[in-house]
Amino acid sequence: MAILLLALFCTAPLVWQLITSLKPDPELTRIPPLLPVQPTFSHYSALFHDPTFLRIIMNSAIVAASTTILALAAGSLCAFALAKLRVVCSKLFLGLVLSVSMFPPIATVSPLYLIIRYLGMRDTILALVITYTTFSLPLAIWILTSFFREIPEEIYHAARLDGCTPFRAFIRIMLPLAAPGVFTTSILVFIFSWNEFLFALTFTATPASRTIPVAIALFPGLHELPWGDMAAASILVTVPLLILVFMFQKRIVAGLTAGAIKG
Amino acid sequence: MLYVLFLSMRRELPIFGVSRFTGLDNYFFLLSDDRFWNALGNTLYFTLLSVSVELVLGLAIALLLERDFRHKGMMRAVVLLPWAIPTVVSARMWEWIFNGDFGVLNRLLGIRINWLGSPFWAMHAAVFADIWKTTPFVAIIIMAGLQAIPRDLYRAARVDGAGSLDIFMGITLPLLRPVILVVLLFRSLDAFRVFDAVYVLTGGGPANTTETLSIYAYKVLFQTLQFGYGSTLAVAVFLCTGLISAGYIRLLMGGKR
Amino acid sequence: MKWAAVLPILVLLAMIAGCDRKDGNDRNSGTVIVFKHGKIAGDPIILRGLLDSFEAENPGIKLRDETLPSSSDEQHQFYVINLEGKSADFDVLSLDVIWVPEFARAGWLSDLSRLFPPDERNDFFPGPVSAVTWERKVFAVPWYIDAGLLYYRCDILEKYGLSPPRTWPELVAQARRITSAEKGLYGFIWQGKQYEGLVCNALEYLRSNNGDVLRNGEVAIDSPENVAALSFMRDLIARYGVSPPLVTTASEETTRHIFGNGRALFMRNWPYAWNLFQDKGSMVRGKVGVAPLPAFQVGRSAPTLGGWQLGVNRYSRHQEAAFRLVRFLTAPEAQKLLCLKVGYKPTRVSLYADRELQKSQPFIASLCDIFMTARPRPVTPYYMMFTQVMQPELSAALAGVRPPEAALRSAGRQMRHILGGVR
Repeated sequence: MAILLLALFCTAPLVWQLITSLKPDPELTRIPPLLPVQPTFSHYSALFHDPTFLRIIMNSAIVAASTTILALAAGSLCAFALAKLRVVCSKLFLGLVLSVSMFPPIATVSPLYLIIRYLGMRDTILALVITYTTFSLPLAIWILTSFFREIPEEIYHAARLDGCTPFRAFIRIMLPLAAPGVFTTSILVFIFSWNEFLFALTFTATPASRTIPVAIALFPGLHELPWGDMAAASILVTVPLLILVFMFQKRIVAGLTAGAIKG
Repeated sequence: MLYVLFLSMRRELPIFGVSRFTGLDNYFFLLSDDRFWNALGNTLYFTLLSVSVELVLGLAIALLLERDFRHKGMMRAVVLLPWAIPTVVSARMWEWIFNGDFGVLNRLLGIRINWLGSPFWAMHAAVFADIWKTTPFVAIIIMAGLQAIPRDLYRAARVDGAGSLDIFMGITLPLLRPVILVVLLFRSLDAFRVFDAVYVLTGGGPANTTETLSIYAYKVLFQTLQFGYGSTLAVAVFLCTGLISAGYIRLLMGGKR
Repeated sequence: MKWAAVLPILVLLAMIAGCDRKDGNDRNSGTVIVFKHGKIAGDPIILRGLLDSFEAENPGIKLRDETLPSSSDEQHQFYVINLEGKSADFDVLSLDVIWVPEFARAGWLSDLSRLFPPDERNDFFPGPVSAVTWERKVFAVPWYIDAGLLYYRCDILEKYGLSPPRTWPELVAQARRITSAEKGLYGFIWQGKQYEGLVCNALEYLRSNNGDVLRNGEVAIDSPENVAALSFMRDLIARYGVSPPLVTTASEETTRHIFGNGRALFMRNWPYAWNLFQDKGSMVRGKVGVAPLPAFQVGRSAPTLGGWQLGVNRYSRHQEAAFRLVRFLTAPEAQKLLCLKVGYKPTRVSLYADRELQKSQPFIASLCDIFMTARPRPVTPYYMMFTQVMQPELSAALAGVRPPEAALRSAGRQMRHILGGVR
């Protein structure tokens, strides 16, 4: 019962988006009829007619995937070091890392943009990947450190006694044991890069590197807001995410319980 | 970051060609700036309300989804939906829903509240929209934390005859503590720096009742082009978030025994 | 180990995709100029066609156009970041009417006075011309124009034997009379959300009561005329009940939808809404009329000026080519094409007598007079700061948070502080 309520709560506004995306323009703001009187796919076809839209989805996918992998790689290594290896001033380091997250993004946009321009990376995907990785690292490091810390010392020591190098122990034992943390982090980082707007707007100029949120922000005209088109775009853009999450979260469930019992 | 600090101590008005060092003048002005305190108050209120509700909700959701039931996998994906929508879309969507005339909310509830135009409701509407959007973030991290708790502990406790509430208070919560604190930390930082979600909904209005520090800083920086003072505001945000972080870290480190 | 393999491949992919775009354009011989603008309505093909004909007329110049979101704020932010960093990444830019003095004072725009000799100047509406002139030099050329209008339901007014109101009190009387008879109809809707649109709306009341924000360079926002005008605005909601409370959160689209669903008698909005109302499937098709905004005294209507202008980046390395593009785009032919295809209203008065335009958009004739009286917002580099002061104060008065007099006094105080404080 509660599950149903929860599902409703989460999806209701989105269902409303879906309904809106099927309404022809004149009907968009007419309520009572909650459901479209003459459902139409015109908004969706408008999207597909636009050749750059596909390219933009690709851009977003590349950026998000690269960011996730980079952030995970760097983040998990850092977390591992902070949690298990004896690193001096781990607290200070964590604090420093956190400070990246403490600045309001709008303040950092301008200086960052100047740097990106100076390096000639304006309007490239690489600029976005680097920036997003930098800003997702704090979250990744903190979550993963927390998970790694939970793993009992004995497991690690046992592995070392068996002759593993720290790196082998990391890959073979720590990562699988912290799998829920790893997958959770990857989902969060992926979604963050997928949806990030401010930096994408500032650093990109053409469909060469434009990402989805910027494309959606380009829908409105001078005064008009083509709400039907935007609703359709948001549905189109969220569905792949949904599928991705669904696939990922199965691993979260499968990953751990085995490892814990074995340990 | 250092550049921002540097700017904050100058008086930069590029359109007027004014550019000089004024030391801590900007900071003194800040302290007497009513609009700053208003924004700070709004931001604190927003953060406190938003984060606490999200924590409770997120915890509840995570616990709910812990038990095995059919379509568990599907539900987990569904729960993430609000977080997965781009903010640019979500904010406009809520603006639409909250609309006094053709918004679905008023229709469904059968009332006519001017959600975004009344000084009292506007802030709460913004908080609600934010809660909807970011609770999944809390939920998913706590879910992962719950996964990390070994089943045997539960089994052992059951065998010892402990009730559900005891198990929750005695085992689950303490073991979740580090995860909860990390979540709280990041959520608080994000909520404190909130910009998009509120700006699109209300633009900081009506009458600046929903203007958060980030919005104020944005307006000063990019609308009025006062780079010096704008940077001062950014530094202020940084200091506040620093304080918040320090608080959480103290809690986090304290519990590690 | 799988991770280690996948990672470099993806990074490589990213770099390739990124690098791919960079060198394509620079290998052309001849100049490449970049035209940066907010999204143009309609099919991008139309603008591209226009730019192609420019390229045909000017061999040796290649054009690249880059779009920004149409939101004025976002464009402003983009330009500020770039121009402050002395970027030469774009040559021609489109400017909102309120930024010109600001950018000019900052030294970011090239002086376009010689593109705009006095005889040319007369062909343009007076409002935009004064908006782009700063210290007797012209820094941008008006490209298309916008101004506030009164929309009304001609079918309903006809039913009651009324003609469009010419004074504000007349509007209130008509609205009250009709809404007490007709159910489910709002009297008068307008944009009162705390944003730039609010200032546009408010000025239309202040100025039509003979008040203004600045007089001879002095702050005059707290004058008694202004207090009366602002109180009137507040009374529209609170006392006369002619405007619903939701106007305090309404922007252009919100009001457009409400009026378009047939739920309002009068609306203040920009000309863009007209075409949408005449669309197939619109509930108010053929029932909408347009008139100049009322005033407190007959004949003092003061619609606020909107619209966009074209300027040249002072840091651009291709000044000559950029000038040519600006000249081309603001020429009568280009403006006419944009009007026909996209609905952007021209800034040249002569075009309003053009037969073809009148046939395709009969609506245009009535607009000409209104545009003649359109007044720009205060033309001063301080405007952006002023509007940030005015918006919350006006919003506070409308939402009932503060009485109009206190709000205007506070605004005046802050504005004087700004004027005096820039040393």
